[in-house]
Amino acid sequence: MITVSGLTKQYGTRTVVDDVSFTLEPGTVTGFLGPNGAGKTTTMRMITGLVPASAGSALLDGRPYAAAPNPGAVMGTLLDAAAVHPGRTGATHLTLLASALGVPAKRVDEVLEMVDLTAAGGRRIGGYSLGMRQRLGIAGALLADPPVLMFDEPANGLDPEGIRWMRGLLRGHAARGGTVLLSSHLLGEVEHTVDRLLVIGNGRIVADGPVASLLGSDGVSVRAADPAALARSLEAAGFHVQHGDGGALVVTGASPSDVGVVAATGGHVLVELRPLQRGLEDVFFSLTAA
Amino acid sequence: MTTAVATPVHVRPTARRTSPSLPTAIWLEVRKSLSTRSGLALVLAATLIAPAAIAIAAGTASEPLDNVLGPLVVTGMLSALVLVSLGVLSTAGEWSHGSVQTTFLLEPRRGRVMATKSAAVALMGAAIAVVGSGLSALLLLVMEPSASWDGGVRAIGMVAMAGAVFALIGAGVGAAVGNTPGAMTGIYLLDLGVLPVLQVVKPEIADKIDPGNAVLSLAQGDHTALSITILAVWVGVALVAGTVMSRRRQVQ
Repeated sequence: MITVSGLTKQYGTRTVVDDVSFTLEPGTVTGFLGPNGAGKTTTMRMITGLVPASAGSALLDGRPYAAAPNPGAVMGTLLDAAAVHPGRTGATHLTLLASALGVPAKRVDEVLEMVDLTAAGGRRIGGYSLGMRQRLGIAGALLADPPVLMFDEPANGLDPEGIRWMRGLLRGHAARGGTVLLSSHLLGEVEHTVDRLLVIGNGRIVADGPVASLLGSDGVSVRAADPAALARSLEAAGFHVQHGDGGALVVTGASPSDVGVVAATGGHVLVELRPLQRGLEDVFFSLTAA
Repeated sequence: MTTAVATPVHVRPTARRTSPSLPTAIWLEVRKSLSTRSGLALVLAATLIAPAAIAIAAGTASEPLDNVLGPLVVTGMLSALVLVSLGVLSTAGEWSHGSVQTTFLLEPRRGRVMATKSAAVALMGAAIAVVGSGLSALLLLVMEPSASWDGGVRAIGMVAMAGAVFALIGAGVGAAVGNTPGAMTGIYLLDLGVLPVLQVVKPEIADKIDPGNAVLSLAQGDHTALSITILAVWVGVALVAGTVMSRRRQVQ
């Protein structure tokens, strides 16, 4: 479990992370969402001690990351896929990490296979594409199969198949009881992967909650065989009805069951009934707008 | 009929519960240094430069050599100068490539990282210098059979010490600067540019600060205390500066 309390980072008079607090529970994938420069990466670096915090604390199972006896075995971290020596081969890089972590050398072959880099393992990292470096970074984070994973923009450079694979990997890790923190500015990627969203803007957490609750509901879209009659019944029941595209009625502030009850009572034939949700993109921009 | 369905069991790999022991961490740093082409090239160059210089000197000398001590130490200093780069690469190289991030994620105690890197480059420096001197000695045995070997073992010992000292200076300065080209330029400009000029202009000052002169003096048994002090100050200042800067610098 990761507990972040009042984490703050100041460079001179400029505050780049401002009183950030959250707790990550096992069995969940949490998305850390925000525009470029919002403070995601700095927060993650403070969690691992790479950047000292100006105030606040970040605890991993009750103690700072640096106080863990073998921190790489507790939290697998991918912060910058380019932060590797380009002259080493992928396999050598992972072998050195395995030695530092104290995991058997055969694990290197396993994680290379897991990230589909077996064939490229003997090649120098300098010749890898960005996507391959991301996969190598993920392989390094998975070496000790740590209970906590923290990835900063892991989808960068991955092709759609790779993104889908990573989504399954993270969901599988959480399903086994692991904790995942995943930062991204790719809204679609986060939307389909995470259970919970932390939205950061200008260094502050501006939203924190399950994806569904953040998306909320904007009402209901309904199509009926006789839309005019249904509109009259809905208005008579006190709902505000607007006419949408293609003959659809948009009932704001109503749930599908509300509309269903009115339709059944009035004997209206419905051909479509669906809740309207704000897109994550709308939520994101409304929350992070300066 | 009952059908048993085997549920796949996720087997977690067994990771060490603690950080690696000091010997393991030192050996890991040695492997890191030897895992790149630049590291291997430096090791090869540092090993072969002394015997190559001996071969050229002995092959072109007009008179037979009296004693092996001087040639062994002087050519060994060439190895030591190359070993400065090995030290720089072990520390500054990681900052330049960004791989220091992985290093500090796996071992957040930066003082310990600096200590293991220092121990690793010191051991490598001494070992490489000894191998290079050993090859030089073999060449001298063949090419200068009449030369006296009085002090030969002491010479190899001095070269080993110089290898370790210069590699440590490189590691310390590299960690302090955190930039490979900057650290190398600074050290070599000082050692091959400023100090030789100072030796000509103000020899009394140069004799008190030049680590190369200190090694030569030590090998000859002159000014032992001063020479040891000069080398200790160089190593101490470099390592303290490197440790302080490594601990303070943020990993971006």
